[in-house]
Amino acid sequence: MSFSTREAGRMRNPFESEGQPDLKNPSLIVGWQEDAGRVGAGVIEYLCDKIKAKSFCEIGPEGFFSLGGAAIRKDVALFPRCTFYCGDRSDVVLFGGNEPEFERFRFLHTLLDVAEHHCEAKELFTINGTVSSIAHSSERKILTVCNQSQFQNELFGYGPEAMTWEGTPAISSYLLWVAERRGIKAASLWTTVPFYLAAVRDPRAMREILTFLDRKFTLQLDLSELDKEIKKQDARIARLRQEDADIDKSIGLLEARLSLDEQEQMELAKRVTQTIEQDRPSLST
Amino acid sequence: MGIRLYSEPELKDPVMFCGWPGIGNIGIIAIDTLRMVSHAEEFGEIEPWEFFDPYKVVIRNGLLKELLFPSNKFCFRKLDGRDLLFFIGEQQPAELGRRYAEGQKAYQMANLVLDVAQRFGCRRIYTSGAAVTQIHHTAGSRVWAVPNSEKLIPEVKGYENTILMSETEGRGEQGVITGLNGLLLGVAKKRGLEAVCVMGEIPYYLEGAPWPYPKASKSVLEVLANVIGIKVDLNRLDELTVKVEEQIENFLDALFRNEAIPTQFKEEIERLKDAERTRLGPITEDEKKKMMEHIDELFNQGGWKDEKSV
Repeated sequence: MSFSTREAGRMRNPFESEGQPDLKNPSLIVGWQEDAGRVGAGVIEYLCDKIKAKSFCEIGPEGFFSLGGAAIRKDVALFPRCTFYCGDRSDVVLFGGNEPEFERFRFLHTLLDVAEHHCEAKELFTINGTVSSIAHSSERKILTVCNQSQFQNELFGYGPEAMTWEGTPAISSYLLWVAERRGIKAASLWTTVPFYLAAVRDPRAMREILTFLDRKFTLQLDLSELDKEIKKQDARIARLRQEDADIDKSIGLLEARLSLDEQEQMELAKRVTQTIEQDRPSLST
Repeated sequence: MGIRLYSEPELKDPVMFCGWPGIGNIGIIAIDTLRMVSHAEEFGEIEPWEFFDPYKVVIRNGLLKELLFPSNKFCFRKLDGRDLLFFIGEQQPAELGRRYAEGQKAYQMANLVLDVAQRFGCRRIYTSGAAVTQIHHTAGSRVWAVPNSEKLIPEVKGYENTILMSETEGRGEQGVITGLNGLLLGVAKKRGLEAVCVMGEIPYYLEGAPWPYPKASKSVLEVLANVIGIKVDLNRLDELTVKVEEQIENFLDALFRNEAIPTQFKEEIERLKDAERTRLGPITEDEKKKMMEHIDELFNQGGWKDEKSV
């Protein structure tokens, strides 16, 4: 039995929508800004571009973010955004945004309110990177988590491996749990990201996820831009290996599936991040 | 948001005891020990998801099996005289990264707790926490009691080893009870319920320590056991007190040896050892702030980690 407090109030709608999108029981694809290898944000950005998606709904930041000013990164002021996009596909809706700092339960319900009532989404996928001790040249793997066994069976044919894990929950796992309570089937796709690419874009990991989504939704994506980015990144790391024998040795060990000690890992991550970020404007504070 | 009750026991004029983590875990250890020794039975919970983030996920073979949240449980025990109700929370609902319960969520939780208390006919609530004060860790802890009504003062004055706010050194009759302990007193008052907060004394230099302070929990437990007229075996708390005191001694020795804290602070702590409580002048807020910042920093740095954990 249950009863609610007399102090409990009704939650207001914390999202703003610009019209009703033309959607037919779409799948919602969710990517977070804060992600290893920037996989979530990168995939949503790529998809937005390829399906010519535009924003149609935003979750407001009030109550979910500290709003104590604006962070500046690469000379640009940042502000938390949580946006839904749709494009020329009526079966796909995208959500890209920052992870809420506060009121995560209410935020996730708001996200699902939009998905369920505004978009009539039939299912959702979250896109994530998970840090791994693989080399950057290694093949990426996709691990999945589903909130319903039936949905797991539906995805079985697409090849991702089943994840087994216990620990602190990521926002995506929390979203799957909230979705399950509302009877919405959901899956998280976790692609492996070399630990030394965790702080920068990992185009190989993004490509792996996009290939999966391409097959699942027959998107006919042109992935040539990502292929170019992979080549460019490989060339940068290859140059670094030539310049620094220690880095070359560390990556060599990872390629041979051997492990590095903590110091070696930190040094490798630092040098690779610096090298890849080198061409970009510096961080302002 | 709500409460789930697994059963509806018929209780006779129950008294409720509420415990949650706080400084030195003084309150939660006292209340939970009372719950255990009285063999109280769990009968309900506050649904945690609107108050807390999950702390663990269990994923097996690609399926999300479980998401674990801090628990907030209600228990009861029927006794010959007065029945007992317990509320044990694993965490206080803090908002916007604050340390103690504050704001709308804390107020909602306080109301949910009292909804259950009133549903079972409870008219008296006890909360428990820490009284941060100028004592040395080798001294015994007294209990500070704050009732939510003047008419309870004579009763509270009769509690063993207990003082009122007006009897504490250098504070006059004023102070603040932070978090749910204080909030529950206020919300109970608003609803016309009697409530008393009993707080065990802890040295101010241990306010940010990562260890429990069982000596104060024991003092609180003695008071509460007397209130309901039961005998409690305190051996376990005595054993824990010895271990924690050893831990504190080792920690402070290491700080003094390594000159990790200024001599002035060392002397301040040493002075507390032999001083009579009533002769100690009040420590100024400024002095306390400086010292706490320094010691908290050391605790946060994990300077204690090399010591044996309790």
